[in-house]
Amino acid sequence: MNKVKFDISYTFDAIPRLLEGAFVTLQVAILGFTLSVLLATTITVARTSLNSKIFNSILAFYISFIRGTPILVQIFLVYYVLPVFGLNLGPFTAGIIAITLNSAAFVTEILRGGLASVPIGQFEAAKSLGISGYALWRKIILPQTFITSIPPLVNEFTMVLKATALLSMITVVELMRVSQQIYSANYHPVEVLSGTFVIYFLMCFVVSRSSVFLENRFIVKRAR
Amino acid sequence: MTSNFLELKGLYKTFDNITALNNVSLNVSKGEVIFIIGPSGCGKSTLLRAVNWLTPPDKGEVWLEGNLVGSSSSKLTIKEAKLLNNLRAKMGMVFQQFNVWPHLNVLENVVRPQLVVAKRNKANAESKALKILDEVSLHNKIDEWPDHLSGGQKQRLAIARALAMDPILMLLDEPTSALDPELVGEVLIVLKRLVNNGMTMLIVTHELGFASEFGDRLLFMDGGEIIEEGSPKKILTMPKTKRLKMFLKKLDITSFKH
Repeated sequence: MNKVKFDISYTFDAIPRLLEGAFVTLQVAILGFTLSVLLATTITVARTSLNSKIFNSILAFYISFIRGTPILVQIFLVYYVLPVFGLNLGPFTAGIIAITLNSAAFVTEILRGGLASVPIGQFEAAKSLGISGYALWRKIILPQTFITSIPPLVNEFTMVLKATALLSMITVVELMRVSQQIYSANYHPVEVLSGTFVIYFLMCFVVSRSSVFLENRFIVKRAR
Repeated sequence: MTSNFLELKGLYKTFDNITALNNVSLNVSKGEVIFIIGPSGCGKSTLLRAVNWLTPPDKGEVWLEGNLVGSSSSKLTIKEAKLLNNLRAKMGMVFQQFNVWPHLNVLENVVRPQLVVAKRNKANAESKALKILDEVSLHNKIDEWPDHLSGGQKQRLAIARALAMDPILMLLDEPTSALDPELVGEVLIVLKRLVNNGMTMLIVTHELGFASEFGDRLLFMDGGEIIEEGSPKKILTMPKTKRLKMFLKKLDITSFKH
């Protein structure tokens, strides 16, 4: 058998299309993560203010379900189950829903930790001044929760970014799917996937580094 | 309705079988400065926190200027919650652990509640904040983050934050207990100015010297009850009950005052 030669020109040729795919990847990741943070924030506030056993049990069930099953199964489930209920969403929307539901479970856990680090006195000081309800959370508690949660949240975003590759399985034309399309036409998977590999890495690298930036912006200047 | 400025009626509170307040009633006149002392766990902080309903008592009522602050620990309706917020804003509270907001700078700490609760516009809120920060000698720290401040500065910031709401009553829960001894003075200076301005105050403290100099009344609490009350000088020099005698003796030993 002949040795397969690595021809980098296939990588370069693939790059414009790969970047288009990467753009979709970023869209899915940013949209999914943003929605998951919104959902998780709502859950976190509801959990603390309702303090309801039923709500907490449902939540515990949801989180253990998400953590205890492969994300690929969750993606397929959302993709194939929703039409059963008459919801014919495209793969893009189904993918975002799956990513959101998955990530929200992890973000909820992150925010729980962040909230636990806010002393009870912070709530009390606000209440004693007449601040309660929405303003208490929006102005006093959530900013502190998010500031302490920056590093794990950034980490979760890189997890989401990487998980979007699985959406290629339900035909979302993101970076991984584009790579597959290219190499199934030119039969040069190694060259094409090398390009894909570097693009994923660069995206995640930039995101992780942004953690340092955000920490400097929000944490370091406030600390002793 | 009541003619009293602040009235506490039959407050009762238990925590896991520990009675923190056992049928405590108290009338406070406008401008009165009341100090509350007592051993740890005697209910003095619970009493203070019941006044603004931060720790709702199991039984009893609190009235401020004829308005019912609260009368049970049941869940409040939206309207009641709004009324409670307005009354709370009139009762500035200062905590042992300062509880300044670390994500806001010094100026924002004083401005934020004015915007949210008092619904002032930003310019008014800021000019008010600057004036009050000047009064507590923090005018050169307005852009600083709370975590960069000393304990004394944090407590002065907490006092400024409460004063910005134009309170008619101040509740101070051991305001100097978490401070290094050399920082106590700067907070007491601010509190003395409040006394001289005629602010009505309830102060839980161990600063007996301060209490006897500036207090109109002193309450000694133990086991969730007010055991002795009267003029601070009289009570501190001639305690009637055995419990107060023992408490004062312990304080003397620990603080080497005499």
